[in-house]
Amino acid sequence: MRRFLASTVLLLLGLLARAEDRVSWEITPRVTAPGQPFRLQIMVESDVILGGAQQVDKEIRPPRGMALRLSGQLVRPDSNEATLNFSGVAPDQEGEYVIPSFTLRFARKLIPVTPIKLIVSNSVAYQRTAQARAELVLPERTFYVGELIRGAIHLRGGDDETVVASFGLESIAEGFTFAVTSDRQPLSPKLGQGMRTSFELTPIREGTSELSLRGTMLIQNTDTPAFGNGNRDRPFTFRRKLIVEHVPERGRPADWTGAIGAFSAEAVQVSKDRPEVGEPIRLRAILTGTGNLDRLLPPEVPGNESWDVLPATERRRHAEEQRFFVYTLVPRLPGKLLTPALRFSTFDPLTKQFSRIEFKPIEVTVTGNAPAQVDLVTADPAAPIGAKPKVAAGLAAPTPQRGAPLFRGAPALSLASSAAFWSSNGLLLTGLFALTGAVLYLGYLAAHPEIRRRRRARSIVRTALLEAASARRRGDRHAFAKSAVRALQVGAAALLAAEEAAMTQGDLERVLPGVPRPLLDELFARSYGERFAEGATDAGSPSEDETLELLRRLQSLL
Amino acid sequence: MRSFTCLLIFCIASLGAAEDRVISPAETAYHKGDYATAVEQWSNEARQNGVSSGLLSALGNAEWRLGRKGRAMICWERALLLDPRDPVALAGIRHALAAGGTERPAPTWAETYASFLTEDTWLILATACFWVATLCIVVPRLRRRSAGEWNHRTRVLALTLLVLCTPGLWGGRSLSARAVVRKVEVSLRLTPTLFGEPLNGVAEGDVVRTGRPLNGHVRVTTADGKTGWLRAGEIELIRGASLPADLDQKAAP
Repeated sequence: MRRFLASTVLLLLGLLARAEDRVSWEITPRVTAPGQPFRLQIMVESDVILGGAQQVDKEIRPPRGMALRLSGQLVRPDSNEATLNFSGVAPDQEGEYVIPSFTLRFARKLIPVTPIKLIVSNSVAYQRTAQARAELVLPERTFYVGELIRGAIHLRGGDDETVVASFGLESIAEGFTFAVTSDRQPLSPKLGQGMRTSFELTPIREGTSELSLRGTMLIQNTDTPAFGNGNRDRPFTFRRKLIVEHVPERGRPADWTGAIGAFSAEAVQVSKDRPEVGEPIRLRAILTGTGNLDRLLPPEVPGNESWDVLPATERRRHAEEQRFFVYTLVPRLPGKLLTPALRFSTFDPLTKQFSRIEFKPIEVTVTGNAPAQVDLVTADPAAPIGAKPKVAAGLAAPTPQRGAPLFRGAPALSLASSAAFWSSNGLLLTGLFALTGAVLYLGYLAAHPEIRRRRRARSIVRTALLEAASARRRGDRHAFAKSAVRALQVGAAALLAAEEAAMTQGDLERVLPGVPRPLLDELFARSYGERFAEGATDAGSPSEDETLELLRRLQSLL
Repeated sequence: MRSFTCLLIFCIASLGAAEDRVISPAETAYHKGDYATAVEQWSNEARQNGVSSGLLSALGNAEWRLGRKGRAMICWERALLLDPRDPVALAGIRHALAAGGTERPAPTWAETYASFLTEDTWLILATACFWVATLCIVVPRLRRRSAGEWNHRTRVLALTLLVLCTPGLWGGRSLSARAVVRKVEVSLRLTPTLFGEPLNGVAEGDVVRTGRPLNGHVRVTTADGKTGWLRAGEIELIRGASLPADLDQKAAP
């Protein structure tokens, strides 16, 4: 009894000892240089079958400046061990960085992980340009509400690594609107191999905000063989504090309508340089530069005694950093007129100064006459005395019943504006084209009968192959040989343009050079032997695999 | 052949019947000088039975007698759309131009050519010619036979007619794109704006050629070649509803 109790206690102790989860981690290298990539491996051993950990990326919170990404898990479905691999990049500042304690969520258990420490030291020898790396390109200055800030992430390859792809760009930009404008574009040659992701930021409120960007790039070692798969991922993260202010009210011109950037008046164009009086023309002013082009309000152009100005739709070309201001101008007077001047103020965030943009007027020659005095009297009292008076013809007696039945109807809608008329004509024309096409196709087939013959033969050979395979499964050798011979005869007849029943073994040898004669003998004897002598079907046993291969060969010839 | 003879007899009989037709109350009212009643009754008839060129031209006469030049010109022009040789409408327009102080652009050669038939008839004729020519070309190819002599003659005839229809279609289109000034005191504006400077006066009943619309205005060319802008509500297109629009009536919300 005592021995039993002792062994029970020992067993319980053993079980309790086994119930403790073991978590270990390893960082390679243990001490890194600033910005150096590293690998983190977390090994977990438990008393239950673990499976895969879930939502690891949400649980783990790397310290500021450190990029960390779960790159894979080693999990076996029937194992109580799991290994999690992370790829990371050390922060740019020297120091000790601690990844706080977090929990690994497995399907059947939550396992806590103790804090993980990484030492970043400048004393570590590390050649930064050898590795692929991410760089944030964003101006270091004060920004302004409504300004368009263009930034980019350069994913630059190194001497030992190239960047082959990037994915999963996430941004947290409170107080900003963020939009990616181009992704995975090649870097300029002077920056070397790599990719560029461009984005646009627009501050929407003043104050200090933080821009956080993170993503992953796929890199490849330069010494990886051409057909090897040496790709691996590397995360990157950026956090940048941005200071945003309103455009200063002091010295702000009245005609400033929100333009922030460096702009220049490119050109002014008119759609017609010799319009008539009253004929509308289109004035197009082209503004170029860098800044919030799409947020600009078109400058107001009031009409004057020479021009009436109407609003018009405008377009903007994104790629060329241009903005068009379009107006419809209607000349009121003849002669050489200058188009109305377009002016507005802009704010340059670099110099913090307001400046004025002015599109110079261009000269337009307006033809026609000056507007005459309004003359609402249709009878001209100043008509010359000798003018021939018009003869009054008088009205004819009305005949309301007149009108042929064909002409009865409403003049509201002409046949030319009837959709049914044009659609029925279009339908008929389409039908005629289809009919012509069908007739041409059928004519072509009639001129080339071998197309149909081969198509039919292909179908029969395909069916015979299936039948032969089925007969083989059943063990019916006679049916197998019959299907095979039928297919061979049909196929050979199609290729030789002859009758199927007349196909002999000699014909088959012509079609399929090198076919074994004994095989054909056996197939034909098994297929047709019973017609001539009972028991002849038992003669020999043809190779079924060889026969099927023969049929496939014939099928490929058709 | 027999059916064709029957049809011919029926047509002649119907023409004869037209001669001894019953005079309607509207006609009686017109002849008595009660033009308002005539207009009302002919308008009702048009709403119930549809319009014909005769009815529209008669209505135009009555409207003219009432002094409504714009409505009268619309009726006559629409009557000519249905029957380009309607004598009453032609006489009415001639009278309006000669004595009534209205103006109408001189027809171009294409418009004169087009007035030989209606716009729809030109289109039907052109479509028929197109199909005959197409079938003459396609059918022998489908039947794999060479085209016969008759086929060639028909083909040439159809293509010739199709070419002859082209100016008719063009002229019909430009005839339909005219409008009649409906307001009494209207001035042609320099610009299509609310305060557009007045250029010339145009009178009610004047026919103008219409161009592009812009900003609620339509660019028009008057009979004497002056170009300017009129508000869209000041003119009524000839190709429109059966009866002239009632401009005093407010549009439904």
